[in-house]
Amino acid sequence: MLGCVWCGRLFSLPLTVAMIWQWRPLPQPALCPACREQLTPIGSQYCPQCGRQQATSEVCHDCRRWPDNLRNRALYCYDAGMKAYMQQYKFQGDYRLRLGLQAALSTALKRENYEVLVPIPIDQRTWQTRGFNQVTGWLTGQPFQQVLAVTATHKDRPQSAKTRQERLLTPQPFELVAGAGEVLANRRVLLLDDVYTTGRTLRHAAQQIYLGGAKAVTSLTLAR
Amino acid sequence: MTDFSELFGRRSPTPLPGAPGMVTSPAIVAVGTRWRCQRCYQWVAPADRLPNGDRYCRTCLQLGRLTTQDRLYTIPEPNRFPRLVSGGCTWRGQLSELQAQAATAVQAHAQAGHRQLLWAVTGAGKTEIVYPALAEALRQGWRVAWVSPRVDVCLELAPRLQRDFGGVEQCVLYGGQPVAYHYCQLTICTTHQLLRFDRAFDWIVVDEVDAFPLATSPMLQVAIDRAQKEAGSCLYLTATPGERLQREIKQGKVAVTYLPLRYHGYLLPPIQLKISWRWRQQLRQGRLPMGLQHQLNRWWQARRPFLIFVPHVADLSVVAAVLARNGLSGGTTVYAADPDRQAKVQAFREGQQRYLVTTTILERGVTFPSVAVAILGADDPVFSTAALVQIAGRVGRLASDPGGQVLAYCHSNARNVQRARAMITRLNRQGRRQGGRQC
Ligand SMILES: [Zn+2]
Ligand SMILES: [Zn+2]
Ligand SMILES: [Zn+2]
Repeated sequence: MLGCVWCGRLFSLPLTVAMIWQWRPLPQPALCPACREQLTPIGSQYCPQCGRQQATSEVCHDCRRWPDNLRNRALYCYDAGMKAYMQQYKFQGDYRLRLGLQAALSTALKRENYEVLVPIPIDQRTWQTRGFNQVTGWLTGQPFQQVLAVTATHKDRPQSAKTRQERLLTPQPFELVAGAGEVLANRRVLLLDDVYTTGRTLRHAAQQIYLGGAKAVTSLTLAR
Repeated sequence: MTDFSELFGRRSPTPLPGAPGMVTSPAIVAVGTRWRCQRCYQWVAPADRLPNGDRYCRTCLQLGRLTTQDRLYTIPEPNRFPRLVSGGCTWRGQLSELQAQAATAVQAHAQAGHRQLLWAVTGAGKTEIVYPALAEALRQGWRVAWVSPRVDVCLELAPRLQRDFGGVEQCVLYGGQPVAYHYCQLTICTTHQLLRFDRAFDWIVVDEVDAFPLATSPMLQVAIDRAQKEAGSCLYLTATPGERLQREIKQGKVAVTYLPLRYHGYLLPPIQLKISWRWRQQLRQGRLPMGLQHQLNRWWQARRPFLIFVPHVADLSVVAAVLARNGLSGGTTVYAADPDRQAKVQAFREGQQRYLVTTTILERGVTFPSVAVAILGADDPVFSTAALVQIAGRVGRLASDPGGQVLAYCHSNARNVQRARAMITRLNRQGRRQGGRQC
């Protein structure tokens, strides 16, 4: 029996056929059943562009307003449960909570078709106060390339403190690091971020990745 | 002159540059091969390291994360308060003779710096009993905190103290509140908030000390100790002290003042034990224990309002259905998450409902005139000893009708029931010595 990384309660899983079949206990998930229930995985119906859960498989209202067609997929709905998780992980800085979603992200990454994985970076100030990049925290050994950096002159309020309109008007916050071109030239790139809200951040990032010579850019976020 | 009072007796990660007498120490320190947080005093798990190698404390994360990079800042408590006439007390009420005796004892222990407990039965008026000691403490310039593990207790208490100690500057602190902290002589807060104080208080009153989560949290118990000055002391208030506190009384580690009598001078109703073999199986077959059914019929016919406590939410509808089938109309069920809970409780209090079938949520803090109580399955572990004593305390609250029955139906004479009965017997023995009357 182990403690849940989120609520701390001890829990054990009922013995399953798979466990008996394999003659050994399966690795225990990091989240207890009650905490897992707080999070809503996105089902089979979603917007083909931003990946949000919806009742149809048509391009959603928000996406029709973008002139491009960035392709994003998301693992979970950005609902009250996911907000509570992000609040504790990202804003309170509870690094241990990264363990809670590593397995789910690992499975999702295996389904994606890409050659280079690029996590969205955090700025210098956030590095100093938070001490970790919430996106790379979910990775468990998958190779990635930190080819993007937040420009030094980019002094900005956090995205979460802004209205949709303000977010859409945010100037380009990213630049390519030295040598990015070699990594990106003619490659299929997957961007990885925590939450897709307006899509502004991912589009800024994609723009720079294309400038670096990538031939295709798609993205994956934990929540939409 | 800049105001540095924000750091007086505090334990803050934000320094005030230039503050005279400011003391600082690392927030997380190595103790041997382990690391300990200096705010909550808990060990940091070895795995809780950030990518840069810093360690951080998860236990008190809710108060803002501390890492090995952080420091805590404090200015030793200077008790910089205006002189108060009669301790700022504006209360004009009168204590009964027994209440006044208890108040004198509490005040004497407080003045002597004793760690103490006021063990006052439900309905004794324990808040007012503390007033004379509080007034004297404030008059002498002590810094005082009145704390409780339960936010609702703090929120209910704050306006009372605001009214009854109108001459004292006060502030109320709890998690997620909108008002910022400011330095003042009387602080009302949750026990969690004490983690932000360092040797600040000359006296701490801990209200409902046996309530969750304080009773099960070593962190919060240490928080009370470390928020007190070296020479400070604390007063615990409860009607139902837990086993640990009772052990400390026996060992003489905590001074105790009993108030075994209610304000009206009558003894507590004893819990009558009714062995009902296999009550759970009977309930499954849609029947109540024969004795209980007869008793409920009698109360119903006599138009006495009654509460039936059951162990689990799932039992509520079963019991209600049996009663309805037996013709006992005019009652309803209530539980913690019931959206109509307040309205149902109010309707019962006003006599519009003749009975309530309830879970333990009604164990504390509610008063119904002339009520009788039956507990079905009192041997179930959800009924702690304290819960049973609190439940019995619902009965006989009125001076004009201090009687009433408390019946516990159980499969066996379980330990929790024995202990609750023993506690009431002991309190009543004390009460009788002080002139308490049997109903
Ligand atoms: Zn959990
Ligand atoms: Zn969309
Ligand atoms: Zn801590």
